[in-house]
Amino acid sequence: MASAVDATGNPIPTSAVLTASSKHISTRCLQENVAFLKCKKKDANPEKCLDKGQEVTRCVLGLMKDLHQRCTKEMDAYVGCMYYHTNEFDLCRKEQQAFEKVCPLE
Amino acid sequence: MASVKDMPILQDGPPPGGFPPVRYARRIPNKGPSAMAIFLAAFGAFSYGMYQVGQGNKIRRALKEEKYAARRAILPVLQAEEDERFVKEWKKYLEYEAEVMKDVPGWKVGENVYNSGKWMPPATGELRPDVW
Repeated sequence: MASAVDATGNPIPTSAVLTASSKHISTRCLQENVAFLKCKKKDANPEKCLDKGQEVTRCVLGLMKDLHQRCTKEMDAYVGCMYYHTNEFDLCRKEQQAFEKVCPLE
Repeated sequence: MASVKDMPILQDGPPPGGFPPVRYARRIPNKGPSAMAIFLAAFGAFSYGMYQVGQGNKIRRALKEEKYAARRAILPVLQAEEDERFVKEWKKYLEYEAEVMKDVPGWKVGENVYNSGKWMPPATGELRPDVW
């Protein structure tokens, strides 16, 4: 895998990038996620929850871009480690500590 | 004339006074740990091992929880992206269905699904796609 960002500098939401930022997503995009899931629970029809889904996508992609801009090197190292070990948290503790020191979870 | 009978007798026999006595009686010593001591040691080792098993399970459970929490966090993004893709494809399919069935009288184009009122994903003919 070449890198975590595409040509315009936006992080690509691959599994490695998503799992690397999952702890940030679970705190900072909690409202959007919960709203989307509640909408889904009420009605499974995808057409009914499109707007909430777009909120979720916007929140997560924005969060990933923000994280990447603030701690580029640490995030790249963490994403690379995740990619190498196929999203196994326990094998990437060092990179995780470095990443969370520079971009702390609230 | 010297004969064999005049040679001195050379026999393999016991030394003078006989061999020293050989001990053949059992002598198993009665010292060492008692039965209660052995039982307590085994029980102690077992409980220590089970305690370590419990600790290890706690650690493993925490690791699994971390993995599941990560999956829970990224599930909505993935589902939202898939929903967008599905809606696009579904609209294309509805147009195709309208065109194919435009000459059939009484065909309500579009959603021709079940009567329960719930939305069901389109059936592709596979009974259990996760198995096949």
